[in-house]
Parts: sequence; structure tokens; C-alpha cells
Amino acid sequence: MSANWSGFSYIAINLARFIRPGEITFSGVNSTLPMLACLLAKKTLDEDFIYINVAGGVDPEPSSVPLSSSDPVLAQRSASIFANEDFYDLCCRGRMDLTFLGAAQIDGEGCANNSAIGDWHRPKVRLPGGGGGAVMLPTALRACTWRTEHSTRTLVNKLDFRTSWGGFHGVVTPIATFIKRDGRLALDSWHPQASLEEVRERTGFEFDASTAHPTDPPTQRELQALASLDPDGQFERDARVSLR
Amino acid sequence: MPSGFVGKNKCVPLQELVSRVPDGASLAIGGSFLHRGPFAFVRELIRQGRTGLEIIKQSPGYDIDILCRAGAVKKVRAGIVAMEGNFGLAPWYRRAVERQEVVLEEHACASLTAGLRAAAYGIPFQPCAGLHGSDLPALNGWVSLPDPYSDRAPVYAIPAIEPDYAVLLASEIDRQGNVRIAGTPHWDRIMSRASRSVLVVAEKLVDTQIFQDNPESTVVPYFMVEAFSVVPGGAWPGSCWPSYPIDYPAVESYLAEGDEALAAHLAKAPEAATQEKAR
Repeated sequence: MSANWSGFSYIAINLARFIRPGEITFSGVNSTLPMLACLLAKKTLDEDFIYINVAGGVDPEPSSVPLSSSDPVLAQRSASIFANEDFYDLCCRGRMDLTFLGAAQIDGEGCANNSAIGDWHRPKVRLPGGGGGAVMLPTALRACTWRTEHSTRTLVNKLDFRTSWGGFHGVVTPIATFIKRDGRLALDSWHPQASLEEVRERTGFEFDASTAHPTDPPTQRELQALASLDPDGQFERDARVSLR
Repeated sequence: MPSGFVGKNKCVPLQELVSRVPDGASLAIGGSFLHRGPFAFVRELIRQGRTGLEIIKQSPGYDIDILCRAGAVKKVRAGIVAMEGNFGLAPWYRRAVERQEVVLEEHACASLTAGLRAAAYGIPFQPCAGLHGSDLPALNGWVSLPDPYSDRAPVYAIPAIEPDYAVLLASEIDRQGNVRIAGTPHWDRIMSRASRSVLVVAEKLVDTQIFQDNPESTVVPYFMVEAFSVVPGGAWPGSCWPSYPIDYPAVESYLAEGDEALAAHLAKAPEAATQEKAR
């Protein structure tokens, strides 16, 4: 098996690398890549972590991997149902160790716009909205996001609308992984087929890259775990992630 | 009017259930995205030509989209709106907001829940954690209140949201209207507690004895439920766990442009076949 990253494996596996043993980790609606990351980490981490999801599942054992990241199969073989009000309350009281949240635009502080492109009142594009974001981003202990497009229109200097404040701990794109440091997103590593210059060129905000390096290659275990979740490549095709 | 709904048999045909909802009513719709939504009820609202509705739901998708497509909606209160899976944005909802044909009150899911909790708890507002730094409070005129007991950070107060009806999809119901849900209840429970009345589309009618054997698994007690209909497949084209999954090809056909595609979709729905047979 090749030890090279694809854009898809880069995002899924690097999101999974944010998951830590022992922690409560949540994935929600409209979040196929974080769902895959959580299922993947169950296979790649030797120690347990607590995986909860928007289908009410608590450490579920789904019989298949669904297209919809809120599908009820994500509660299969779960011994309890921890429903929407429960996981929001858990987050609000400061006990959500890690949550994954979507974002259309991300700024240098790691805040998110999920609401509109253009003026909110006269939007060029009305976006889905932030869902849990405005409450979860500032209250979760850590939150991570992903973008399948790395460009100056997704990673921006100024958000068109600030749906959620609080700052992502981690951001993964097809070519880069950012981690928050001193209140701003700093480049942690870049896809080995990209470069620091390319990441700078395609990012709308200034960032510190003083400790950045090419991302460590995927391990055999990570690649095998991802392949077992996506045996016929359906998720990789659907995600349509390209480096450029 | 008494506070509860009595009746030994609250089962009515779907048309009659939906006819109770007047133009301009506010509806909290159960389920989430394409999962266990009372979509047969939603389609019947369209068949009956309802207009001016206010839709309240943390994560609507197909339901708000088809109602916007039919021109039935005046206002939406929601946290996140999408078709999900590989379908992305909800196109008719998106157009309706962009053209300012519907009024959007954008929430975080938890702030909408806080508004529903305020109504359920009998108080004018409910504090909600988070939200600081977001542009949403200013947009919605939400006020932050100081903690009267300590010097902890101020908290945003979300005004009560009391829907006219909660419209829910039950996995099982008995003749009196006790409601059971398989899998996650999403926000159905708080919707039922916050609303003035509850209308239910049920997958299956079962004996009251089954509820009496396990009362702890009842999500909504009968006295909160005004009436219900039994509509097998009522969550189509979405899922109803564990009976059926999302019908992805049907969602795809729904998304085809044009009035004919909508008409064909409405005609193909499970409740349309049942209604045809009853004629």
C-alpha cells in the first residue's frame, strides 16, 4: 500500500489525529469526514475514547457507514441514546472535550461563517447556518473543522458574517493542518506535495509557520482503517477532494 | 378549554389531521434533516394549499425546502438547513431566503431549544450558554443578562418560543395518542412540551397494553396529543428507524426542477396511494 496522501485521506486521517484517548468526542450533522475520522480513530487508537454523535449513539457499532452523518445506523449497538439536548447541555457545561463543526469561511482567529456570503440581509448565497456552532465553538474544550477547498475565499482575512466565535483548535484542508496558538491559527504542517509558499498563497489570513513542517505520512494502520470504512471508494469519490 | 386532550380514539385520516392547522400557524416539526420527519403531514399541508406558515425546527431540510417550493412559508426559525448526504444545500429554501420571500430568524440549534424550553418551563426567556462573540445575538436582538448571584460572565436570554403545534412522527402510538420513538427523539420531546398542541403521524398503531408494560419508554403522554393519523411510510423519502432507510433516488427526483417534478413527487408519496385507495 502506498504511503502517500490523497486529499481525502489527508483530511480524514488528520482530523482523526486530533482525537485523544479518554476524551468525549462528538460528530454532528452534515459532517461525513468527521464521522469517518471518529470511526477511524476507534480502529487506530489503542486506548478508548468516548465517541458520541448526533444520531444519539454512544460508542456505536454501526453495521454500515452511512452517507448521512446523522443516520440512525450511527446509534446501532449503542447501549444508550444520548440525544440532541443531552450533547448540547454537555458541551455548554464544559464537558465536551472535542467537537467537530462545519464552516464555510474561517478567519485567522479560527472563527466561522456558516450563514451567508455577502450581506446577511441580502445574501449572494444563503448558506445552511451554523447549527450548533455559535454555542459549541465557544463552550467546547476543543473544536476542529475541515474544508475540502483551500482558497482565499474559504480561509479569509475577514468573515462576511461571524456565525461562531471562540476559535477552532484545529483546521484541516487538503493541503494543510492548522492548530491554534496564542489565539490565532498557526500552520502545523503541510501536505508533502504542497509547500509552505503554496499554503501562504492560498490562505487569506496571515499565520505563523515558525514550527511548521511537512505532514507525517499516513501509517499503514491509518490507511487500512480508512480503507475498511470506505472499501469501494464511494466516500472518497463523493467527497471530490482535490489538492488543487 | 381544558388543559389536556381526552378521547378514547384520536385516530383521524391524514387530511382531517392537517385540516386542523390554519393558514399562518406556527409549527415545530420533529425529526432532523432526512430522519424521522412527519413528511406525509408536510406534503398534505401543500396539497391543502396552506400559506403563511411559520416553521420552527433546529435542523430542517426536505420539509422546509418543499414548503418553500410550494410557497407555504412566511417565516423560518432554524439552526441549520440542508438536505445532507451528498445533496448539499436545500435549493428552494435557499432561493426563498435570497429573494427575501421568507423571513429567516437564524438560531444556533441550542438557542432555539432554549426558546422552546422557556415556553415549556413557563418563563418568558431562557438563558443559553455560548453565543458570545457571534453576530447572531445582535441580529436577533438577544439581550445578555448579568449573573445575579456571582461574577461569572453574562448570559444571553432567549425569548420563549411557543409553537401553535408540534408535528411529530411516532414509531408507535396507541388509540389514545401515547407516543413512542425508536432511536433518538432528536428535539421531539421539548417540542411537545413547548407547543400549544401536538399532532402526530404514526408509523404503527399498537395496543395501550404495550405502553402500560413499559411506560418509561413513552416520549409524549396521550393527554398532550390532540389527534393523530397512522401513515406507514410517513417519513418518506427520509428514514424511520428501524423500519426503512432514506430513499436516496426519491430525494434526487424531488430535486429535479419544475412543477411537474414536484407534482410527480407528491403523487408518488406513500400517503397519496393510501388516500387514492380510500376514495
